Amino acid sequence: MELYQMLPKTNCKKCGKTSCMAFAVALMARELTPEDCPPLKEEPKYKESYEKLSEIFKPSEGATETGLIVHEDLCFGCGNCVVACPPNVANDPYGVGSGKAPTNPGRLVLTVEDGVVKAQNLGECRRFGKNKILCNGCIVTCPVEAIEFV
Amino acid sequence: MEKNYYVCTGCGMLCDDIEVDVENNKINKVYTACRIGVAHMKDGKESAAFLVDNKPVDETTAISEAATILKNAKNPLIFGLGTSSNEAQKLAIELAKKTSATLDDASSFSLGEVIEALLNNKTKVCTLDDVRNKADVSIFWGTDPSDSHPRQLSKYAYFPRGTEKQRGWEEERTAICIDVRKSHTAKICGNYFFQIPPGGDAEFIDALIAALAGKLPKTSYNFPPKRILELANILKGAKFGVVFVGRGLVYSLDNLEPLIRLMNALNEKANFHLVPMIRQYNTRGFNENLFKETGYVNSVKFEDGTVKHGPEYSVVESLKEKTVDAALIIGSDPFSILPRSIAKNLLEVPVIVLDPCETLTSRNAKVYISTAIDGVESGGSAIRMDGVKVDFKPAVETKRPSDETVLKKIMEAL
Amino acid sequence: MDFGSFLKAPEIKVKIVTYRDIFQDKAMIENRFGKEYRDRSAVIKMDSADLKQLNVKKGETVILKNSFGTVVVKAEESGYEPSHRGIAYMPKSPWSNMLVSDETGGTGIPKFKDISVTVTSAKGQKLTELGL
Repeated sequence: MELYQMLPKTNCKKCGKTSCMAFAVALMARELTPEDCPPLKEEPKYKESYEKLSEIFKPSEGATETGLIVHEDLCFGCGNCVVACPPNVANDPYGVGSGKAPTNPGRLVLTVEDGVVKAQNLGECRRFGKNKILCNGCIVTCPVEAIEFV
Repeated sequence: MEKNYYVCTGCGMLCDDIEVDVENNKINKVYTACRIGVAHMKDGKESAAFLVDNKPVDETTAISEAATILKNAKNPLIFGLGTSSNEAQKLAIELAKKTSATLDDASSFSLGEVIEALLNNKTKVCTLDDVRNKADVSIFWGTDPSDSHPRQLSKYAYFPRGTEKQRGWEEERTAICIDVRKSHTAKICGNYFFQIPPGGDAEFIDALIAALAGKLPKTSYNFPPKRILELANILKGAKFGVVFVGRGLVYSLDNLEPLIRLMNALNEKANFHLVPMIRQYNTRGFNENLFKETGYVNSVKFEDGTVKHGPEYSVVESLKEKTVDAALIIGSDPFSILPRSIAKNLLEVPVIVLDPCETLTSRNAKVYISTAIDGVESGGSAIRMDGVKVDFKPAVETKRPSDETVLKKIMEAL
Repeated sequence: MDFGSFLKAPEIKVKIVTYRDIFQDKAMIENRFGKEYRDRSAVIKMDSADLKQLNVKKGETVILKNSFGTVVVKAEESGYEPSHRGIAYMPKSPWSNMLVSDETGGTGIPKFKDISVTVTSAKGQKLTELGL
């Protein structure tokens, strides 16, 4: 599982679970948050993973329900997902909706920076919220499955 | 808010909506551009380099050495120019005339025949903006834009909304891929991917033409006729179809005749246009600039005020037959892009290389001049893969001269 | 029975089609003399049944040879379906160009996507370096 790969995998049990795999399951179930793993939070070598996990499970944005992960090393920067993403098109029809650069990147869910797709404003993602649907715009349009929902 | 957009010269798409962050004369962030574009735009270098026999010299020495080589040659080869601006290319044509040179670019062994056909009005064409606004059927034949022109599908060919295509790709557009392997683009096309064996394109074209005429489509490799008939039906219904042609198709055909026949057959039943998948940002510019001067798109020899043309003046045949006695290579690396069996003959003549990067060819050249990257460090104009002229400006400064500057100086030194 | 032929490494003939790879191009722009470019270019994607016949595991190196040149590249499973025994794929690069014929029939166009080679296991030999 992708989440498990980002954990220390030492099974130190400081979170109260018997193994890192169990912790990953608890994360998914929103029982625990990345904060609940002390090594992840405190040790510098896990800083990147901690930040990534915190981004995914940011409670204030409700991103937990979307669980969107970007495999940056796979991404071509082709922009297919950016142009196909329904909230992107709704918020910027003459920019990314028409295949061009964003007119207001701050309002978008997906943008391309330095050749890699970046996810933000996950609260706008259609897979979240009361009327959530299993939108797969950014999955089927990607040549390499760089975006995954866990 | 006014945006400061730059043009990316990383491929033939010439995306003109790129924002950059510049700090201390270095581009440290690129927005919207794909992986290739970002790598390309961040590749600038401030310091210049002039080498003769791989030893640093000053600019004047390098230029005069280059001029001497060209002066002493009876038949110098001038090759490359696919990554040079229109302005530099026009100077190169003048230089070729002045030195009675053989002049060619990489199109002679890639899409040159296709561009020649377009410029001679052998088939209908359209711009990429037309594709975005009108195309309902896009066919990628022998090309994998996901790898070669990453933003092709998102900026124009499949995913964006256009003025006449406002409901989106799922409802209003079809993307079809014809290739010998399941490329990244083929994957996106899903059930509209048609896999044919290597060399099977000519037969597939004939079968498709038969299907368009309502006849049973047959191929020697037994491609399911039902699928070809289904494909023909989709194509028949296209209001604005586009065929994107790549080297996969061109290398499979002995000549362009089957492709032209197919375009004619498609246009009898529907409305189809051809777009060549040109990779370098200004190969089309070279073809068009030379065409304006001589009526030919590549492979020419200037001599005594006349111009000759033919495959014997292509870079490959010239090197193979060893008809050239010097070479000026501009923005290209023949030792990397040509078969070694042919490029090795370059070792026998004095070579001048103008290139932003050190290459296999430059490391074995007599003279190497490090030049500026157009669109990043120098400005000018180019012609996009669909024939639209695009102007570009630099984002950072450099001490390296542009191709245009170097060619001008070499001409003066002659 | 001739012991020599018994011990000779299995070899097969394949036709190579070249293709373009975005990360290989990116590596070339960033450093064409570097390891990453070599690792992404000196690669051949083969049908897994062909690899099995050669006694080569994915990730091991193989020798590609014809009358124009010899290179050592890494063998990978293509992952393509359906089976394509006898056909293999390489990113277009100086490595693939070592093997391209100089036969053009006077057209000026080499057969870049129609390269015939013999493939054998390189038995751990390292990738051919970029150079002349």
